[in-house]
Formats: sequence, C-alpha cells, structure tokens
Amino acid sequence: MILVWGERADPPVARVADALAAQGAPTCLLDDAALATLAYDLDLAAPAEGWIELQGRRIAAADISGAYVRPGEPRSAAARVASSVLLALLSALPARVVNRPAAGRSNAAKPYQLGLIAQAGFAVPDTLLTTDPEAARDFLHRHGRLVYKSLSGIRSIVATLQASDAGDVARLDEVRHGPVQLQAHVPGLDVRVHVVGSQCFACSVRSDATDYRYAAAAGHDAQLAEHELPPGLGPRLVALAQALGLQLAGIDLRLQADGGWVCFEVNPSPGFPWYEDATGHPIAEAIAALLTGELAAT
Amino acid sequence: MIVVVGSRHDTVAAALVSRWPGAALCSAEDLCSPGWRWSMPGATARRWIVAGQPVRDEDVSGVFLRRSAVYAEEMVSLHPADRGFAAAEAHGFLSCVLATSAARVVNPVRDGAFGEEAVRPECWAAAARRLGLPLAPQRVASAPIRRAALRRRDCVECAAGQAFGPADTALRAVAGELSQALGLVWAVIAFDRQRRLLGVSVAAAPGEGAQAALGRALAEGRP
Repeated sequence: MILVWGERADPPVARVADALAAQGAPTCLLDDAALATLAYDLDLAAPAEGWIELQGRRIAAADISGAYVRPGEPRSAAARVASSVLLALLSALPARVVNRPAAGRSNAAKPYQLGLIAQAGFAVPDTLLTTDPEAARDFLHRHGRLVYKSLSGIRSIVATLQASDAGDVARLDEVRHGPVQLQAHVPGLDVRVHVVGSQCFACSVRSDATDYRYAAAAGHDAQLAEHELPPGLGPRLVALAQALGLQLAGIDLRLQADGGWVCFEVNPSPGFPWYEDATGHPIAEAIAALLTGELAAT
Repeated sequence: MIVVVGSRHDTVAAALVSRWPGAALCSAEDLCSPGWRWSMPGATARRWIVAGQPVRDEDVSGVFLRRSAVYAEEMVSLHPADRGFAAAEAHGFLSCVLATSAARVVNPVRDGAFGEEAVRPECWAAAARRLGLPLAPQRVASAPIRRAALRRRDCVECAAGQAFGPADTALRAVAGELSQALGLVWAVIAFDRQRRLLGVSVAAAPGEGAQAALGRALAEGRP
C-alpha cells in the first residue's frame, strides 16, 4: 500500500496519485481535509507495528510500502496532532518515503542549506546574512546588484536591489529590524532540475522577471524548455539530493555565460507539474515508479 | 567567551550565564538587533550580537543551546501580523549561525534543526537499534489507552564525555555510547526498570556535575 498525503486538489499530489493509479499500485490518499478524523494505534519504537485508519479504511503500518508526503499546514488542533503522529511514523517506517520529514527541514533554513550545497562542491552565490545596514550597503556597492530572499521557507519571493538606485540603498536601513539574506546577483540562464531517485529532468527558464515563478504577476513572461545537462552534472545533482536525504528534489541552478553552474537551493517538495507540462518530462511517473520500487532509490 | 542561546525569560539560561565565567545570553531580541554580519560561503568578519553587544565569531569559544526554535511570541516589537514571518526568519538565521560558527556548539545542528528538535525520536531510536539497545514501547493512539503505571526511570546525564546520575556503571556506559553515536555533547538519557531506552532529551537543566563539565568544554572551544 502506498500513501499519498496532501491536499487532494494540490497538483503534485493529484499527479502522483494519478500516476500510481495508472501503474496499478494500491494507493490510499490521506487528504489534508480529512486528517482531523485520522484514527491510529502505533508503537513508534517499533514503527512497522500498529495501524492507521482514515474514513473507515484501516491500514496496517507493516503494509505501507511507500509514501508521497506533501502535507499543507494543519488547520485544526486535531489535524495538528494527527499530522505529528503521521510525520513520526513516516520518519521511521521501513518504507520508500518521498521525502522523509527530516530531509526537508533544511529548506526552512536556506543559508544552512546553502552551506550544505557548497560542501557538496557546488558554486553558490556570495551571501551576506545581516542586521547591519552599513554591512548591507557595503555588500551592495561591492556587487552592484543583489537579490534579497527570505531565510526561511515563508514569503519566499526573490527581489532585487541595485547600487545605482538611491531608494534601494536607503531601503537597506530596514535590515536593522531582523536578519535578512542578501546574495550577489548571478547573471545567466535559470535551470530547474528535478531529481527523482537517480533520474534527472532538466528544464531551462527564460524570463525577465527576478523570480520567474511569479513572472506573470510581475507582468513578465517565462519560457520553459527541456534542457540537456552537461556530462557529469546529473550524477553530481543526484549525489547532492542524496546528501540532503532527498529522493525527490527540485534543484535551482543558473548556467553562466562562461559555462559555470551556480546552485541556489534545493526544494524538498517541488511543485513539478508546471515544469512537467512545459517539457513533457514524466516526473510524476518517475515518482510513482520510485514509490512502487520500480525505480531504484539512491 | 561562552554564549548561551535562549530566552531572556529562561531562568536556567540565566543561571548558566551566572555560573560560567564570561558567559552571556544571546536572546531573541539579540537575533533581531542591528549589527549581525554573517558571510557565506567564506567566513569573513562574522559577528554576533550577544547581550546587545557585537562579538566576533572567533571570540566565541562555545555555544550552549537552551532553545529549539524562535517563537512568534518573542517578536514583541513587531506588528502581530509580521511576528510569524520574523520568527521564521530569525530561526533560519540562527540555524545557519549555529551550523557554521567556529565555536563548539552544544549540541550541533542536525538536518537544519537544533535543540530538542534535533534529537527527535526517529534519530535516537534508530541509533539505539544500531547499537542493539532495547527500546521501551512508544505507544500513541487516537483512542484512550490504559497507560502503565508511571514507570521508574533511571536518568543519565551525559556531558562532554562524562556521565552523571545515580544509575549504575553499566547503564552510564550505555548512555555514553548512545550520546556519542548521536553526536551529542549534552543529553539526558532515560531508561525504564527493564533498562530499555525511554528517550533522549536536551531540554533539561544540566545538573551540578554536568554544568562544570560543560563549562570547561565550552570554554576550551572545538576539540
């Protein structure tokens, strides 16, 4: 039995559920909306024992062979408790879990994750975390153009700052109220690589928007296309995902004019359908194959 | 210098600051005070704000954690609508500082988490299984269950390679082995009457012996 946990209407959840159904895999959808009604009796010291029950359907923990995990924020106290129990179960269950809860936590501390990316041998942008307006301004003048991005996974929209813009320079006074993350702007072509087990699906994104995910809202266009990775990069990205404990990852890179690659971050719960639709990459199918064991885990 | 990272309302943190010479508290207010500088990937001129004062990272020998998160409720100077975001940002920032500081951090960041969040049951249960230690049941159920009478517990404090507490030598050795396997410099490890592992916590107040051992280790810096 494979659990698919998330909001039924969430496109990645729906795609994975559909792909599992197409492969004939026995699946149970744990819909966030029904989470508060979850019943369970588990021994977390022996996680393959006990059971969970949702909407009258009881599943023995020992029968769970895989799980796709993409829950939203629990909406009630009962849902929060059920969510905690499920996360604990899926942290320890001897099954194919995409992804284990702990593996995704680095995304809530983006500069911490950036350190892990650098340790894995990838070039990362010059970064300053600061509450010091003077240090922030020095950093802006040194690089000419910066991007501001959140340190956590909340309000994760990238914005730019220009040294030539007096308003941007003055705005840096605001950093005194709490830590911010500033990064040197890296020109180049955006490439999103979805790693699924040992497979890579690369997609280039051409856009004038600072954050291409919100291009339309900013009045810009974003053109997505399949992208061929140079030899050797794919295995390095698989190794990076593996080092972060991730079976599924959306890795954001930029290809520079000189052929160099800079890595920005690794998303442990990527919203892949947008890229899948644009390129035809069978990402959901690969995730389903990973969950059923047809595609080898790393 | 020893930095105790915790809340200004935490009396244990305050007591540790008083106990350890030259120690100071880094509070949530400090995390949001002007003056922090933390460069990456290089470690150029990194600077903390501790008790309102700038401190170079190279001047910090040890960091003792008394928190697992930065909470929205601590962001009292901000508009309530912004407190959740500000706390998440401060938390992400602190994770990075703790993971990349040149100081000895007790206990180290794991998977981006710190404090009690870094010693979640899946971590210590897996380590215990690898070491062949028996685990006490950790039953959770949605329906009421009849709980066993409060089990007698033997707690061992592990601090900087030493074990403290009334438990016998063998149990202390087991606790030391487990804390080492988990990479913990400080932990309280609890066993039941049958010597099965009940749990691992880093949230307790260190006892007298542990305080002394930790104070020495934190003053010495990274081993």
